[in-house]
Amino acid sequence: MTADNSQKILIVPLDPVHDVGAKLIARTLRERGHSVTLLQPDLSVEEVISRARQLLPDFIMVSRTISYDTPELLAKFADMCDAAGLRSHAKLVVGGMSIRKEMAQELGYDAGFGPQTTLEEVADYVDGKAHTSHEASHGGTKPDLTRGYKYDFVDAEIGELCVGIARRLIDWASQRTSPGIERAHLRMKLEEARLSGDVALANELRGRYSALTGGDVRKWYESGQPIPHTRPLAPYEAAALENMDNGVPVSLVSQKPLEPVNVIVQYGTGCPVMDAYHIRLSLGWGAKGAVHFDPSWGARTEGLAEGTLSHQHDGTVLTLENLRLLKRAIHPAALWQVRAHRGLNTPETVVLAHLAGADLTKINIVYGSLGAGTDPARLAVDGVECLRLAASFGLPYDVVTNEELCGVPARKAFAGMLVVATAGVLLGGRPILQPLFADSPEAMVSGFTQDNLVDFNAAKMIALKSIMNAPIWPGAPVGFMTQTQDRCQSSTMTALHAALALGLGAEAVTIASSDEAYAGGPISAQARVDTLKSVAASLKFFGSTRIAPTARAEKMAADLKKGIKETLERVYERGDFVAALYEGLLGDREDGAYPGRAGRDTVTARQ
Amino acid sequence: MTAREKILDACDIETFFVCEDAEEGKRLGLALMKELGFADADVVFSEMAGPGARVRVRGYVNRPGSTYTWRNEGGRHP
Repeated sequence: MTADNSQKILIVPLDPVHDVGAKLIARTLRERGHSVTLLQPDLSVEEVISRARQLLPDFIMVSRTISYDTPELLAKFADMCDAAGLRSHAKLVVGGMSIRKEMAQELGYDAGFGPQTTLEEVADYVDGKAHTSHEASHGGTKPDLTRGYKYDFVDAEIGELCVGIARRLIDWASQRTSPGIERAHLRMKLEEARLSGDVALANELRGRYSALTGGDVRKWYESGQPIPHTRPLAPYEAAALENMDNGVPVSLVSQKPLEPVNVIVQYGTGCPVMDAYHIRLSLGWGAKGAVHFDPSWGARTEGLAEGTLSHQHDGTVLTLENLRLLKRAIHPAALWQVRAHRGLNTPETVVLAHLAGADLTKINIVYGSLGAGTDPARLAVDGVECLRLAASFGLPYDVVTNEELCGVPARKAFAGMLVVATAGVLLGGRPILQPLFADSPEAMVSGFTQDNLVDFNAAKMIALKSIMNAPIWPGAPVGFMTQTQDRCQSSTMTALHAALALGLGAEAVTIASSDEAYAGGPISAQARVDTLKSVAASLKFFGSTRIAPTARAEKMAADLKKGIKETLERVYERGDFVAALYEGLLGDREDGAYPGRAGRDTVTARQ
Repeated sequence: MTAREKILDACDIETFFVCEDAEEGKRLGLALMKELGFADADVVFSEMAGPGARVRVRGYVNRPGSTYTWRNEGGRHP
């Protein structure tokens, strides 16, 4: 701001007591080099006009917080400014909690600033600049959640156990294959053939692929019979997504506390078009990325369909074409995760994630085997292939521990997570540990969360950090089983869990919408905004302070680590990771874990 | 195009009904949505305390995969 551009500004709170906003604006404008006169509150309109006539300012800025008589008072003030001849050289501006832009215009003011206006916005107006921060691009570079992590073991004993078990797992899997692995490789070749225009080869590969599918997907390939509850996207729907330019800046609502952190949301309405809107609005309200949710039936069926498909129920169908369309909604600076952690199509899902340009995937043999219905041997052989593929594509992945939701104790879930993460590292990958931040059955039964919801979650972070130098991304989503259908309660729980995780050094958090506990219909757009706003507010509240766990958290962390080690020792002694899964060493029936049956007896010797 | 047709997916209304219990709150919530012309409505929550129930009701205007009422209007993104 040069002296030549300095403006003479009179700021007046037209209010009996409230003048904080006026003071803040006065300070901001002074910092920009303007000459500011700030009057005290509770002056009469006549007194203000008198001061203005003496001062002859370039801007007369009045504020009003209380709402009664506001239009009448402001109208009178504007009329008196006119009558005093002040409007010929002064712009008349009004702002405050009771002000709406439309009201200011109707009353004849040059500008009006209501609630949620930033100080910069007002100062930019005085400076004659178009305000940019409110409509800024979703700039910056894409976050790398794994940067700076060496993946060495802080706890050598646990490290030795993990490496020993993981090596055996990799050796076991390398001698075996499955229809899921075969399809993944066929899919890669098929897409290469399509890309090179080799129609004959593509047709042959597609035929071989369809022979390895099952159920409704097989019927779709063989006879074109629609998969139940799905339909092809209409041309106008596909066009809406194809015409979307993901280079277009996302309009940002000012959510400054979210700027330095990675808050990730989940989508999967069933319809890629609706998903695109939900992704865009989430990025607009400060999310740094989005996770693709596919239908649960997709995990139980051999093979993935093709084409752009809409699904009538939760979960958006995994096809390369759907993913490629959705990619257009993901801003280049945002993270995009396509999950491959359960079911019969995990290796192919990693392939699709890579081909569609995803940034992250999700892999865990243990959760998918014990909590998501897939046969342990099948998911072990497929999961190791996922780890290989992800490493070859340079695709980081989280290793989720949602089996805790079934009732599996954290010590067992974390032991499984650490083995899978170690196998991933041995294969050249970049895993991210994903502890569940939740009021899990174990926590409730054991009384870990009786006094507070901080200690047990903090203990998980403390324990993991003392074991392995790896990024941690709690989820998914944080606050699982703590949210109710009440949007205020739900948003608060999400916000506090997110603040706790980020305060404890998490690289990212996945959050739910305030509809997390509502099962009556699809998640609404406004429910997504609820939690992004509440997380931003909680981060603003805590700032650089941190939620302080009690001394009990350290004790819980020590117990957890001891339990992890004991679990790993049992698995190591068993000498067979897959047998350990079947036999319940990483979660048994009493815990609520059941070895899945989908894909049983489909693992064969690798040729 | 009406304001309702411009709703992306659902319209939530939260209010407080003077009523006897949470179930009556739910019934009143659904009745309100019917009065307002929302054919596809549901109660997100209903919680009774004091003189009545705090109720949040939702009217779905565009469920995922339906023919979106705003489809020819578009928003800024996409």
